[in-house]
Amino acid sequence: MDLMEYEGKLLLQRYGIAVPDGVLVDRGVVPAARRYPAVMKAQVRSGGRGRAGGVQVAQDVASFLPAFARCVEADIAGMRAERVLIEDFVSAEREYYVSASYDTRTRGPVLAMSVSGGVAIEAATIVPITADAPIAPTAIADVMDRAGVPTAHRAVLAECIARLWTCFTEERLLLAEINPLFMTPDGRCIAGDAKVIVDDDILRPQERRFLSLGGDIAIIASGGGASLLNVDALMAHGGRPANYAEYSGNPSADVVRDLTIRVLAQEGLRGCWVIGGTANFTDILGTMQGFLDGLRRILPRPTYPIVVRRDGPRKTEAFAMLQDAAAHEGYQMYTFDSATPMEESARIMCKLAYQ
Amino acid sequence: MAILVHEHTRVLVQGITGSEGSRATKEMLAYGTVVLAGVRPGKAGERVHGVPVFDTVIDALRVHPAITTSLIVVPASHVYAAAIEAIAAGIPLIVIMTEHVPVADSARIIAASRIAQVRVVGPSSVGIISPGKGKVGAIGSSEIAEVFTPGRTGVLSKSGGMTAEIAVTLRRAGLGISTAVGIGGDVLIGSDFVDMLRAFRDDEDTDAVVLFGEIGGAYEELAAAYLASGVWTKPVVAVVAGRFTETLPIGTTLGHAGAIVAAGCGSYRSKVAAFADAGVRIADRLEEIPILLHQLTYARHLAPSLRVHADGLIVHA
Repeated sequence: MDLMEYEGKLLLQRYGIAVPDGVLVDRGVVPAARRYPAVMKAQVRSGGRGRAGGVQVAQDVASFLPAFARCVEADIAGMRAERVLIEDFVSAEREYYVSASYDTRTRGPVLAMSVSGGVAIEAATIVPITADAPIAPTAIADVMDRAGVPTAHRAVLAECIARLWTCFTEERLLLAEINPLFMTPDGRCIAGDAKVIVDDDILRPQERRFLSLGGDIAIIASGGGASLLNVDALMAHGGRPANYAEYSGNPSADVVRDLTIRVLAQEGLRGCWVIGGTANFTDILGTMQGFLDGLRRILPRPTYPIVVRRDGPRKTEAFAMLQDAAAHEGYQMYTFDSATPMEESARIMCKLAYQ
Repeated sequence: MAILVHEHTRVLVQGITGSEGSRATKEMLAYGTVVLAGVRPGKAGERVHGVPVFDTVIDALRVHPAITTSLIVVPASHVYAAAIEAIAAGIPLIVIMTEHVPVADSARIIAASRIAQVRVVGPSSVGIISPGKGKVGAIGSSEIAEVFTPGRTGVLSKSGGMTAEIAVTLRRAGLGISTAVGIGGDVLIGSDFVDMLRAFRDDEDTDAVVLFGEIGGAYEELAAAYLASGVWTKPVVAVVAGRFTETLPIGTTLGHAGAIVAAGCGSYRSKVAAFADAGVRIADRLEEIPILLHQLTYARHLAPSLRVHADGLIVHA
């Protein structure tokens, strides 16, 4: 999960990295005047904030409130900020970029740095760092060498990078990025922004991913890989997915029930596709019981076609249960096992939904 | 010979007393794989499906020095400690089934495995199966064990579920599997496609490889670079899932932790282009896999002046 800028800055501060003096203001509150120039930044969890007008600078008291209004009204990727961070302007003699993250090429942590940070960031120098050790001063010196950091800035930057790295490893983050990192004329490092991504597997390991896609065929998919392939297949047949939702592993019936309720609560559905591959170890009877429990909570009872394609342990009992429920409770349900390719069931789903 | 898992595999299960560990043990035994011991601190002396439980990996190895492979099925927060214990004991193959292992822990496990020169597969690996010879993990459980038929095609997949689905598809076309490996869909994995392709390259029982990849990370691009490097000669068919994500915001994470929407490297387009450049055929549907495999295998036996066109026709090059 991406932290908001102010949350990221609070985290950096805990590790001894300086941030500009500032105050967090709710959108409905009339903010008090501050020192000028004042920088206002909409707090949202997405990028592209500057281009969308979510960053404003007020030069004097007259322009303060209009700038604040522009900031809270900015449409940033369909979102409006609930809060604004108002900070003192930092005059910098240089803006650096520095980040700690993981790279699938080296399969370990990497340190990235650029001497031209800020909005016009240029290519960063990337140096792999040994996992399971505190960062070596030589590694920091190496990345500064390669990035071309002037001698005068090195000592203070090295200190800041070491602190960032400690924050990254101690908090087990996926990304800790400062861009811009201001170098002030009096030789201090100040984090102008903070982009922090927290590992969801630490935070919320049981969370099921759900994404609205705006179409009219509800999808309840199992399997991280199969779910992607199947959304592709549905769209290849002209289907318009309402959502992406996935459960994997061997979840309890309750988990599948709750996901089903969430998916089928969407408006304007013309079909429901319960899709998965051949399970290695997922109990198909248990998970389909969860689907049925969820389906029964949806009122009025769905009349659109429901296509189930799944296989694996206890599939026969699961399908008998579903067909029995369909016959007695009046659902338009079709069940397919691995004799019908997943992709074929996508075609059948589209045909039934749009005929 | 198959790769990684064969008749001589001797398994240790770390986390054997848990529900998933106990079930995996039962399934492996039912498949004829030898499970010598299990580990669960504080439960030494107990038995799970007849398999003796020890407090530590070292205790288990002292009594059963023949152990070749450890299957780790402990809760995510304990995986790091369990893996380090197995690495320190020098067990040559460690398969981590547990999902939701923090990336930071995986990074440290991978670093330690490189120093100790042991092979780690996973985290989030469904397991490894060499049909008819043995299996480690939850792959091909009792009722569907028979969908993995012995044969000469290697399967590598980020997705556990898709290993079985690909096996079904191959079987329907009369093809079998030498070894199928679930490498896991995490951001960082102990063994990537390239590591496994190297093993398949030297395996006399593998004629061709099917690879299931998806958006996110660089593992598919790295595989393509390896396949194009001139050391590889066997036919490869790849599936890349997640074409629909091209329109989603950068940074969105989908099914697997490693399936992160990216621009450039990591995107669907980047992976498909990399594979195409490496001479790897892309199957848009699973049902195309056997057709493409036949075409590629056939093409290898054609005169140099001929080649198989995309629609299967033989044309002059």
